[in-house]
Amino acid sequence: MKRFIAFAMGAVASMAISASAFAETFKIGLSNGWVGSEWRTQMIDEAKAAAEKWKERGVDVEVSVQSANVDVPGQIAHVRNFIAEGVDAIIINPNSPTAFDPIFAQAKEAGILVIATDAEVSSPDAIYVGIDQTAWGAAGAEWLAKTLDGKGKVVAINGVAGHPANEMRVAGYRQVFKDHPDIQIVNEVNANWDQAQGQQAMQNILATYPDINGVFVQDGMAAGAWKSIMDAGKKDQIAATGEIRKDFIDLWIKEDLNSGATVNPPGVMASALNVAVLMLQGKELKEPAKAGQYGNALYLPIPFIDSENVEEAAKQLEGKPGYYSYTSSLSIEEAEALFK
Amino acid sequence: MAEIATGPMSRRVGSIRRLLERYPFLPALGIVAALFLLNGFFSPASLSYRALTGLLSTYMALILLSIAQTYVVYAGDIDLSVGSILSLVNVTIIVLMERWGGGAGAVLLSLALGLLLGLACGLVNGLVVAALRLQAIVATFATSIFFTGLALYILPVAGTPAPTLFWRTYGGRLFGLPFVFYILAVLLVLLFMLARTRLAAQLLAVGDDRQAAYQTGLPVVSVRIRGYLLCGLFAALAAFCITGDTASGDPLVGGKMTLYSVAAVVLGGSALAGGWGTVVGSLLGALTIGLINSLVFFMGTPSEWQNFMQGLAILLVLMAGVLAGRRARP
Repeated sequence: MKRFIAFAMGAVASMAISASAFAETFKIGLSNGWVGSEWRTQMIDEAKAAAEKWKERGVDVEVSVQSANVDVPGQIAHVRNFIAEGVDAIIINPNSPTAFDPIFAQAKEAGILVIATDAEVSSPDAIYVGIDQTAWGAAGAEWLAKTLDGKGKVVAINGVAGHPANEMRVAGYRQVFKDHPDIQIVNEVNANWDQAQGQQAMQNILATYPDINGVFVQDGMAAGAWKSIMDAGKKDQIAATGEIRKDFIDLWIKEDLNSGATVNPPGVMASALNVAVLMLQGKELKEPAKAGQYGNALYLPIPFIDSENVEEAAKQLEGKPGYYSYTSSLSIEEAEALFK
Repeated sequence: MAEIATGPMSRRVGSIRRLLERYPFLPALGIVAALFLLNGFFSPASLSYRALTGLLSTYMALILLSIAQTYVVYAGDIDLSVGSILSLVNVTIIVLMERWGGGAGAVLLSLALGLLLGLACGLVNGLVVAALRLQAIVATFATSIFFTGLALYILPVAGTPAPTLFWRTYGGRLFGLPFVFYILAVLLVLLFMLARTRLAAQLLAVGDDRQAAYQTGLPVVSVRIRGYLLCGLFAALAAFCITGDTASGDPLVGGKMTLYSVAAVVLGGSALAGGWGTVVGSLLGALTIGLINSLVFFMGTPSEWQNFMQGLAILLVLMAGVLAGRRARP
């Protein structure tokens, strides 16, 4: 119903402006190379909604989406298809940080703006708009260190070894724990961002180290890990990082878990889209995108949920399905504030 | 009347059958042609010279990987580690080229070592499958994890650019023609020559009936090992192409490509049970996968249905291939 009202309002608004009176028209291609989680679906839906919002400002942003499970060559083909289609900009959640350098160079030659989101790319012909995964890892570790009063035994459950976001997050928490000499990392395991594997890993850890105090577990596995912690009856002894999905946040409140969740919002692609439109309009960033290891990143703020504000997060998610993630994105106005 | 009608009909069916026996990849060729036309219909730009060059340079790695897979499938084996071999060779040559300065000599030496590495991986697979007699599907799954582990050791995170010389050559032109066209030409000659070797016939014989092949005196173990060697070699060549197209090293780049290579072999009309198939069919099968992916997009499929449509299209093509192939096979 809500969607219908939004649609109807949009229709009325566009009629008022009159359909052909868009001052500008941009065509933006969105490429997503992995559809294994609802997070990615939400990412694309939010980006589409962001494109729709531009209509109120007289800008027609037409999005063209390629989203499927593909290997790296398959996603390079996505980019080629967009070039053939003649889009103005490409926003991509890339399957590899480095493999797109040559194809992005071709896109740039064809006059196409390329923005990567969610995972950084090394190409000098693209910019990255998203969160800093190192800071993401550090934020969770900071919370854990504070919660444990700077001392205790912790374990880490990580995602896919060799995946750039995973390596950055690992670097992030290791740095923080190094600054707290009384915190000891007793083990680090990989559970491949899979709930079942996260649960299994946590079971093994609890059997091997019954006296641990804290768990740094990345999202996508934290619900599974927490299930093992609760099954072992240790939810009051252990502090562990959590998830931003509604079903986990509900559980968090109900069971009064000692948890904290760094937010990697699915709205990053919507933020990137707003930045892209402003760039296509010829505006210039106040501070050029020069951050990060590749010197092409524009980092977005990272929200954090802990027991203080978890109720607020729950409020945002009220009425949404259980898989829906807490989200945030740059609104058009917030994006504009980044430009001259 | 009926008899007059059936006469030429059955003769025509007979000649189609003979044609299919001689060129079992014809159905795959027809499907690729049809997919080209459909792509062109929905997006004329997708048939432009530039787009076709792009298609070839992007899918050349999958083509080579599917050919690699075909040689072991010939013998009734399978290799679930081809993608990992590709990743391992990719990161190895990237690291070597960087360490040695990225000049022409360094590039050539790294490529030579890459080929040797591919052969070594093939040898490992051949030994565990044919000599130790482990089940191919599980043994190569295990070696795939092993090779991925090695790749992660050599290059823990994706990165390290390829020398400009290398990827500019791959993506560039030679005497006015895109470099990938030369690769394709050399590949076709190579496949033609390989198809005439005794090894190809021996692999097919082993795949057709291992017991009979053994009883007629074929060195079955050695033939299967050589099949895996050939597979490793082509996986290394595929790694060169992916390195050329992506200009970087990525220890996980090939992981998802393994099953696509198996799919391409089957789409190309080869039998997974062994003893029947062509490498040209696998080449066309790899192109089929690429063209289906593009077609689903150019048709304007909504994003939430794109995976579904891709799966459906691959199933349809498989069915079409089976229907056409059934006529040819005795």
